[in-house]
Amino acid sequence: MNVFMQRLLCSPALAFVGLALVWELCVHVYAPSPRYLPALSTIAQDAWSVWPQLLGGFGRTLLETVLGFMLGALFGCACGTLFTYSRWMERSVFPLFVVSQTVPVVAFGALIVIWFGNSLLAKVMTAFFLTFFPVTVNTLRGLKSCDPQRIALMRSFGANRLVMFFKLAVPSALPQIMVGFRVAIGLSLIGSVVGEWFGETVGLGVMLMEAMNADQVVRLWVVMFACGVMGALLYGLLTFVERRLVWWRSES
Amino acid sequence: MKFMRDETLSPAMPAAAGHAVPMLELVNVWKRFGAAQAQTVAVSGVNLRIAKSEFVTLVGPSGCGKSTLFNMIAGLLAPDDDGSLLFGGAPQRNGQLLGKVSFMPQRDLLFPWRTVLDNAILALEVEGVPRKEARERARAMLPEFGLAGFADHYPHQLSGGMRQRVALMRTFLFERDLMLLDEPFGALDALTRTRMQHWLLELWARHRRTVLFITHDIDEAILLGDKVLVMTARPGTVKSETRIDLPRPRDPSIVLTPEFIDLKQRLLAEIEEESRKTFAQEGIAS
Repeated sequence: MNVFMQRLLCSPALAFVGLALVWELCVHVYAPSPRYLPALSTIAQDAWSVWPQLLGGFGRTLLETVLGFMLGALFGCACGTLFTYSRWMERSVFPLFVVSQTVPVVAFGALIVIWFGNSLLAKVMTAFFLTFFPVTVNTLRGLKSCDPQRIALMRSFGANRLVMFFKLAVPSALPQIMVGFRVAIGLSLIGSVVGEWFGETVGLGVMLMEAMNADQVVRLWVVMFACGVMGALLYGLLTFVERRLVWWRSES
Repeated sequence: MKFMRDETLSPAMPAAAGHAVPMLELVNVWKRFGAAQAQTVAVSGVNLRIAKSEFVTLVGPSGCGKSTLFNMIAGLLAPDDDGSLLFGGAPQRNGQLLGKVSFMPQRDLLFPWRTVLDNAILALEVEGVPRKEARERARAMLPEFGLAGFADHYPHQLSGGMRQRVALMRTFLFERDLMLLDEPFGALDALTRTRMQHWLLELWARHRRTVLFITHDIDEAILLGDKVLVMTARPGTVKSETRIDLPRPRDPSIVLTPEFIDLKQRLLAEIEEESRKTFAQEGIAS
């Protein structure tokens, strides 16, 4: 029983429940205008009333986020690797990457719609635009920070560059690459939500816009919670993968 | 300088050491870094010969270019053009030595994502031995390296001595005629160190690989070696070569024998003289 209590105190579940209780209590005691702070129960009711649309939007945005993330992660890993092994590419192309990130994604929105139309691809591209950079930077950093003494050891065994890459450089860089992934997954969600603002009919971003235009404050909260749940879900999934894949992180 | 060779006391001496082609021979090897004015000479005019199955130890003050010399012998660093490095009688150029010498650096450099067994077979994998076969070979060697039952442990679960043994096993499985060990026991506590030294001697007696062992511990150098080379402070060169004719197998109590103490005194005096010289030089320079 004692152990169970301790676990409960340490887990974030208690904090969530506590916050929810305080929230409900505040709403009942102070009774603020729902415009400022609606009751959690009201939000839940509203969510229930639109659940088919909410579920559809959730699925759509999730799909965009995951696709954008995967594309960005792949491209980022490839570019990070390229920049690590080609000094020339790093000198000439990498600054372009940096410049590209100084342009806010919102400024690109209209252009993306012109290029890719009102399609799934357009949203995936906005997500991709935000994702590839952190992955590139972290891959580059991870691969470059490979221990030179370990490289010397592998060379003394007669390892060629390919063997060195797969047996040493990639595993050494993995923890850093995972850091990049974790930053990227959050950005990918932002990218797909913002992407939907430029024209779409399904998605959490669309629901957010509609709620804003119709001044439905409770609906805004519903969508915000949905976004939070999705973000936490994706982040959790990634953390799970990371623990499995680079469990040695803390030791090295 | 050479000590008197007492044939009856040296059963471990390779019989043909005198006339056969040495395993490794360095003739006037130099290594300079930097250009003209700001040039530092790390290694200057090193001459040394290591015969097959010989255990040679190299002592010297820190910063004497031991590691530079070591990297050159491992093939990681090219010596300057004025000297030559011969391996089995053939001169070695630019990185030709890579893959010919089993090399163990100071740090164990185990890969944290690999188990003990998979760390041990790293060199075999690089060579292209199928993983299953490599693992079988390594598994058979575990008891000899005091690692029985630890095959599936990860490096962070091992003590310093065990990690060092895994690193040694990795070096050992990379079966090359010459083993280069760079202060492998330097980071261990005194007790573990003594045990590891004797364990290494036993291992060497059984397998008879040629070994070049770097250390800054004179006791260790005498205890292990057939021959002790003393290096001068920078620019490093081999100052003297001393045959150690202590009988083998050598047990821990050998450090208390008069012969051992006599050798230690001579070597200590040499190294002492050397460090005094550098000290004086540095005093003038600054």
